[in-house]
Amino acid sequence: MSQTVVSRQSSVGSQVSERKTITVAVAGNPNSGKSTLINAIVGTRLHVGNWPGVTVEKKEAMLEYEGRKIKFVDLPGAYSLSPYTQEEIIARDYLVHEKPDVIIDIVDATNLERNLYLTVQMMELGIPIVIALNIYDEAEKKGYKIDTKAMEEALGVRVIPTVSTKKKGLDDLLKAIIEVADAIPSHLPNQLNYGQDIEDASSALQMQIKNAYPALAEKYPLRWLSFKLMEGDDHVYKEINIAGNGLPVRDVINHLKKAHGDDIESIMADARYAQATGLTHEVLKKPEFRKIDLTEKIDRVVLNRFLGIPIFLAAMWVVFKLVFDVSTPFIDWVDEMMAGPFPRWAEAILGVIHAPAWTVSLATDGVIAGVGFVLVFVPIIFAMMFAVTFLEGSGYMARAAFVMDRAMHAMGLHGKSFIPMLLGFGCNVPSIYATRTLENPKDKVLTALIVPLMSCGARLPVYVLFIGAFFAARAGTVIWSLYVLGIAMAVVMGVIFKRTLFKGEAPMFIMELPPYRMPSFRSLMIHTWEKGRHFLIKAGTYILAVSILIWFLLNLPWGVEHKKDSFLGQAGQVVAPVFEPLGFGNWEAASALITGVIAKEIVVGTMGEIYIPGALEEEEGETPTLGEDLKEIGTSFIGAFKGAVVNVFSSVGVVSLAAGEDEPGPMRTAMQKAFTPLSAFAFMVFTLLYMPCVIVMIALRHEFVTWRWSVIAFLYLMILAWVVTFVVYQGGRLLGFE
Amino acid sequence: MSSLSFLNIGEKAEVVEIKTEKGHGCGKKEKHICHVEDMGLRIGNVVEVLNNEGQGPLVVKVNESRIAIGRDMAMKIMVKRIEE
Repeated sequence: MSQTVVSRQSSVGSQVSERKTITVAVAGNPNSGKSTLINAIVGTRLHVGNWPGVTVEKKEAMLEYEGRKIKFVDLPGAYSLSPYTQEEIIARDYLVHEKPDVIIDIVDATNLERNLYLTVQMMELGIPIVIALNIYDEAEKKGYKIDTKAMEEALGVRVIPTVSTKKKGLDDLLKAIIEVADAIPSHLPNQLNYGQDIEDASSALQMQIKNAYPALAEKYPLRWLSFKLMEGDDHVYKEINIAGNGLPVRDVINHLKKAHGDDIESIMADARYAQATGLTHEVLKKPEFRKIDLTEKIDRVVLNRFLGIPIFLAAMWVVFKLVFDVSTPFIDWVDEMMAGPFPRWAEAILGVIHAPAWTVSLATDGVIAGVGFVLVFVPIIFAMMFAVTFLEGSGYMARAAFVMDRAMHAMGLHGKSFIPMLLGFGCNVPSIYATRTLENPKDKVLTALIVPLMSCGARLPVYVLFIGAFFAARAGTVIWSLYVLGIAMAVVMGVIFKRTLFKGEAPMFIMELPPYRMPSFRSLMIHTWEKGRHFLIKAGTYILAVSILIWFLLNLPWGVEHKKDSFLGQAGQVVAPVFEPLGFGNWEAASALITGVIAKEIVVGTMGEIYIPGALEEEEGETPTLGEDLKEIGTSFIGAFKGAVVNVFSSVGVVSLAAGEDEPGPMRTAMQKAFTPLSAFAFMVFTLLYMPCVIVMIALRHEFVTWRWSVIAFLYLMILAWVVTFVVYQGGRLLGFE
Repeated sequence: MSSLSFLNIGEKAEVVEIKTEKGHGCGKKEKHICHVEDMGLRIGNVVEVLNNEGQGPLVVKVNESRIAIGRDMAMKIMVKRIEE
């Protein structure tokens, strides 16, 4: 790698600034290797949160380098600082208002012109910039010669070649950041000349603002502000609130409009782009011939009209299989721990301190069972996040969206919506998180709202239970009909939402297809961990609260003998009449449905407890010692690991979804007394469609910041479930079914 | 002059106009046009069609990036073919 770094300003940092924390904003185009570069610099120290009020991820990290504290703030990837996408607004507001000490501008060396367009815009802000000329190795491989020294001189910023995937150039970059941050006077970028008329207008405006509004001049970078005023930027006018008053900006702007027409914004954009283009021509030497690169070769196959969809489906099948088959043995392992050793230990500990019996029940049935429900989701969330990160990092996700766009477009959805929906068949929770790959907030919410209609794995035990009791001969058809019903409802609701809540233009499809790259294992792990950890903490707290609440509902009033008299049973009795027209208006079914809020498979557990009390209690045996327990946990973990590997290679089908458990006989008899085949089918339809489980609602809250969408999902699904089940049950009766 | 959506795979063309309902260029009334321009599909730039199946989105190469763009948007981008 060529080292053409020049240091024009010596670091004459004073003693004071030597100790100051340097705040560095990391900006750049999407696909410029931004997150890889940040991960390469700070590793797992990244703290992930959300930007206030929006669903865009905010990543920050503290780093100590050569005795200096450096705080990194990762701005969302943006092509421009014009306030058109949420990401652009966030990036721009941060730079203008928080005034970081230095901006690292990550520039894709293989795509200089477009990347420099953003650089040119950031140079207006009067903040020192260091360019990380990233993906430098690929540019060299393509035969590009970039004159970094000429670039530094033309822009007045430091340019450091980097290869984030190989951690090259990072030391130089950090040193440059410290030097630039300490430089006195400030190492500011050059002011690029946008043409006589624009420059004159800008100078006049800057002067007027300084005289009439010293406070504004203090708060905003003046040159930038003058441009925004000329462009008629609504966002800025609203913020500074001087649109209506007598500031003589009007004259200057009108003068400009007289000469150039109304659309100053376009003229400014063209002026900036001309700078980026001119600079690119000056510093970049490309070889004459253009080779067709590997990415284009792969795309010819992957995006082919006939091969595209089969390839996509095959890829999805692999993901589906990997995610669910790899995680299932671990889920069973977690389940086992939660069922055996943990409650036993809790019992033992509470027994030693002579705690009352009800605390034992609270600890085991409430707390441990509740935590268990969260932990059970952990393997699947991590596996899913890993798969999604891989698809994105490799560049295939964008192709999948491209291939599916035509079909999804008919529903008013974006091509990318297909992936969360498909993943929803396994579990809706990670699907909600997978909507993150959609850029447009509207598409994101719409997709997340219909995801719960995909029949997830947790609903399967309910189907298995009822089909075993009523439809054993036609099991396949019945299950199939439920899945299809869910999909059909998703299509219907998608169209309805598109016409009501999300009215407006059809989603515009424009996205970059990044080059195929093999994501490094390290960065895959970091991203997976970031996303998974977040879920663990957030969902963990809520679900614990909910499961404790349910425990109390089942066990209060104090000393309740029969489940029918518990608060939950009473609630079931109150709600039951609502289900009368649906064919299952008894308190047992109603109570079971209420507990389904935790996870739909709980419906089965509750029914078991109600219909055959005590049947699900585990048989008493010799209590293993602590040592035996630990050994068992260890060996079963290894077993789970083996199971995962075996699952992946063993079969063609998705193992975990095919597995159904046989329910004990007495349960079946009790259910056959309580339900008819028709009401059983109605109950399954209701279970498929009604409220999402609490974890999905938390995920919705988590992803979209407000509870609003959780509430809307809850309400619409309840209404939809009731209406559809009503039609199924009453229609079935009219047709003579029973 | 032709619409970008009518170009065949391998053809190169220069963007000459982006049709909008409310006047020319990247005005603040049509946000998505701005986004299209920011991604490099702007007047004067040369595009090469990498994929065009006659329906659904197409893929074009602009500068060094591959951009997938919906057919409805591509209809609005007017181009002049460049003969090699």
